[in-house]
Amino acid sequence: MYRIRFHGRGGQGIKTASRILGSAFFAEGFETQDAPLYGAERRGAPIYATVRAARTPIVERGPLRRPDLVVVADETLLVAAVAGVLAGVAAHTVLLVCTATSAQVWKERLRFEGPVLALPAQTDATADARFLGAICAGGAARLVGAISRSSLEHALAQELAGLEQSDRHASVERALAAWDRMSSHAGLVRDQEGTPDEELASPAWIDLAAEPTPSSEAAILVPATSVQVRTGLWRTMRPVIDEELCHRCSWICSTFCPDGAVLVDAEHRPSIDYDHCKGCLVCVAVCPRHAIRALPERDAQSAESAS
Amino acid sequence: MTRLLMTGNAAAAWGARLADVDYVPAFPITPQTEIVETLEHWREAGEIQTRVVMMESEHSAVAAAGAAALTGVRVFTATSSQGLLYAMEMLYTVAGWRAPFVLVNVSRGIAAPITLEPDHQDVLAARDSGFLQIHCASVQEVLDAVLLAHRWSEHPTVRLPVIVNLDGFHLSFTREPVEVPDAQAVSRFLPPFDPGDASFRASKPVSRAVAVLGGGPYSYFRYQMHRASEAALAVHETIAVEFQRACGRRWDLVEVYRAEDAEIVFFLTGSYATKARDAVDHLRAVGIAAGLVRPRVLRPYPREAIRAALRGKRGVVVLDQNLSMGQGGVLHTELAAALYGWPGAPKVLASFVGGLGGRDVVLEEFREMAHETLRAAEEGRESPRRLLYTAQELREVRKLQGIALAEREDMAKEGM
Amino acid sequence: MSETRFRRMNDLPSTHLLGGGTAMCAGCGGLQAIQEIYDVLGPRTIFVNAAGCMTLLSIYPFTPFRGSWLYTAMACAPAGSQGVRDALDILVRKGRIEPAEDLSVVTLAGDGASYGMGLSATSAAIDRGLDFLYVCYDNEGYGNTGQQTSAATPFAAVTATNDPPLGNPLAKKDLFAIWAANRPTYVATAIAAEPVDLARKIEKASAMKGPRLLLILAPCPTGWGFEPSDLVEIGRLAVSTGVFPLKEWEAGRTVHTKIRRPRVPVEEYLKRQGRFRHLFKPERQEAVLSEIQRRADAYWSAVE
Repeated sequence: MYRIRFHGRGGQGIKTASRILGSAFFAEGFETQDAPLYGAERRGAPIYATVRAARTPIVERGPLRRPDLVVVADETLLVAAVAGVLAGVAAHTVLLVCTATSAQVWKERLRFEGPVLALPAQTDATADARFLGAICAGGAARLVGAISRSSLEHALAQELAGLEQSDRHASVERALAAWDRMSSHAGLVRDQEGTPDEELASPAWIDLAAEPTPSSEAAILVPATSVQVRTGLWRTMRPVIDEELCHRCSWICSTFCPDGAVLVDAEHRPSIDYDHCKGCLVCVAVCPRHAIRALPERDAQSAESAS
Repeated sequence: MTRLLMTGNAAAAWGARLADVDYVPAFPITPQTEIVETLEHWREAGEIQTRVVMMESEHSAVAAAGAAALTGVRVFTATSSQGLLYAMEMLYTVAGWRAPFVLVNVSRGIAAPITLEPDHQDVLAARDSGFLQIHCASVQEVLDAVLLAHRWSEHPTVRLPVIVNLDGFHLSFTREPVEVPDAQAVSRFLPPFDPGDASFRASKPVSRAVAVLGGGPYSYFRYQMHRASEAALAVHETIAVEFQRACGRRWDLVEVYRAEDAEIVFFLTGSYATKARDAVDHLRAVGIAAGLVRPRVLRPYPREAIRAALRGKRGVVVLDQNLSMGQGGVLHTELAAALYGWPGAPKVLASFVGGLGGRDVVLEEFREMAHETLRAAEEGRESPRRLLYTAQELREVRKLQGIALAEREDMAKEGM
Repeated sequence: MSETRFRRMNDLPSTHLLGGGTAMCAGCGGLQAIQEIYDVLGPRTIFVNAAGCMTLLSIYPFTPFRGSWLYTAMACAPAGSQGVRDALDILVRKGRIEPAEDLSVVTLAGDGASYGMGLSATSAAIDRGLDFLYVCYDNEGYGNTGQQTSAATPFAAVTATNDPPLGNPLAKKDLFAIWAANRPTYVATAIAAEPVDLARKIEKASAMKGPRLLLILAPCPTGWGFEPSDLVEIGRLAVSTGVFPLKEWEAGRTVHTKIRRPRVPVEEYLKRQGRFRHLFKPERQEAVLSEIQRRADAYWSAVE
């Protein structure tokens, strides 16, 4: 069975990627199963989707035990533990990343055992984000080896049928470019057996005992625990306040921020809580002095790590 | 102590009155309506300090009941049948909230077809919800059960809402003698409501009933409800002892009548168990070692107590006043699950379904059920399964069908 | 104009009470409104919630609330509110809690619950004179399940269940009028894009007793098809085109709190949203566009 997982953010076409690959396998005569992680879809929020393919009917479900291939559409997720990109990774797992740096940099940074391959990152985060799914699927299909180019083309036509013509052409073009790019690694991702019996450990069951309330109720006794969730991770664009231009008007940015992520100090100076800012850029749009500009998040992060 | 004649509905209201409940959100439905009306009259007359609110549906009434209980007051409500089912989403919800309160269900058959007469289909539909369930067989038991239920529900180990079930008409509108405990005795048994750490206060902000995503965490909370329900068995024993001390009556998880040396026992809940007692006496009088085992508590399921009561019996005559379509009687199914694989299990578990929509189950039928079961036990035959129905009843239905389904030509002939 | 703390933008609270880190979409118009509302109402509140997008504000173990929160189910948040309100009243009256422990009860529901299955519970709560604040964040569709058409969806909007060429053939239900017909204490419309107007209405409603209901338009980038950064612009256009009138109802009288003259053509509002794109591409649907303008004009000619 082939076991493949795609990672990205809501809005980057990750579900589409899994469907393109699933359909390509299916067109190639495989039994397939593909599914996105249910219900997590918020634009910018981490999301994954899985694909299984085999010559016999698939009898597995749910999270992949040992993915043969992990494809990462947005490399900023590689350093976010909560995105679970490396969950279940085994010695033979291949990692394919859309990256602005290089495969080698990631292999070292992650101390990744298996092969790491790169597709060029789309540096203009907003423009090409929609095509990321198709690009990832195209690259993944070539790595599998057993999928023909015509099966991929068939799958692209099928899964992208709902797009407008110009978007469809652009997606298909980029998907096939990714296919071509991975040609020298065709077949790197191989059909693997399931986990052998010797490697199956006991599930370590316990007898769950009755526990007293309040622990046994779904009640939250501490106020505002949500601040521990760093939704700043969702950002692909970062708003930055230019303190020279900022007039300290009447904290318009702070009032209109839907997430309450613009704080105002005693001297009426606004500052952005980057742990929680989702990068909606409402503040950029409403500032009457245009004192807030938007930077691609990855550039802002590089600037930060450089300094 | 006063001994009065009163209906089951009045007894339920008396239970709520003696429990000094704070809040009664409700909605009218036959055959429950009188309970809430009685409480409202008492309030109007200044005899109780309870706030009674008529909500616009049972779904809303249960929502209000659970929310008020979580806020920190003692809550009581009552419904039946269609109303209980309309509230079904909220029954599961408020149990999951771990909201302690008492809901009296006056059992009544469920549409379709719609009826007003009793059976147990409604209350059993709630058996998976997390509510505990007490099933009463007499008017006295109703009053006592409401008091027990409040105490049980509020116990820190339990903290689950409780349904007290009484049969429509046979208990709700039937008067029987009831010893009404005095308020002092009750207050020894049932202290004022103590919300513990579950309440809404300005000084203690809390987010309740929040979404839980992920199978591990969700399972934890659901398993905890189940464990609390199981633990409620032992708690029931404790409070039953205290109730006996305070009010003089002992209510066990399972009532047994002449069962110790019985060969076959009737197994059923609710007011028809009274009739089963009569049948036991008749059978004993002609030398048949019959007995009665009546579960009072159905949730949590008192498996050990039931096993103890059935040990050594040759046959069990299960009478279900309910019917799971395509499967059979619920009591029978759950009993089989409780006994399977247990060496002491009786060989014959007969399944009889009767009493739907108030259908009477007469003495002759009890006798015949016992005989069929005994025969199966003696001859090593399969356990009987029967939907109780007679030739006479079918003839009567045919007459009704004759009217309802008359051909139009016939009507034309008759000049209609 | 009665006394108010809020005359200008800088009168609005500068600290935000609601915790960050919630799972609402970036640029959520509903969350924007709740931020502003919570800042005015404060933590001596309990938010009783009906099923909808905002249910996911609190996901164990994370909650953004510094006051209390109770999720009920979809149709019965006003009934849950009744239970909490009555219980608090009983506790105070019977001396079991100090009055300082009392809370204001706020029902929070989306249009899905409010316009449909929750209407029965809302109407009955008003009938009973329940002392509560009801806040409906209206994103004009069943948002949490993927923006299917609800009774709040406007005419000609494309949704998950209404395709082009027309989109939704039905008119948006007038929930404001339905609520008002129940004769509560106060009804108002508001939008986070007009924060001073919103704050004043919350402040005013908080000082009253009885059933007080707010209908808040919540522009939704995900469901309506616009860039999150356009959130405030879209909200302002909803008001300046007259599509979303800002008004209050009290004791049988309706007063508009903001009237824009001349009104901006409704097209300016529609063309910014993906859900109305079919009215412009591949061709302009003149008849439909005129009809939408006509309906807006008809509303305002009755008002002015």
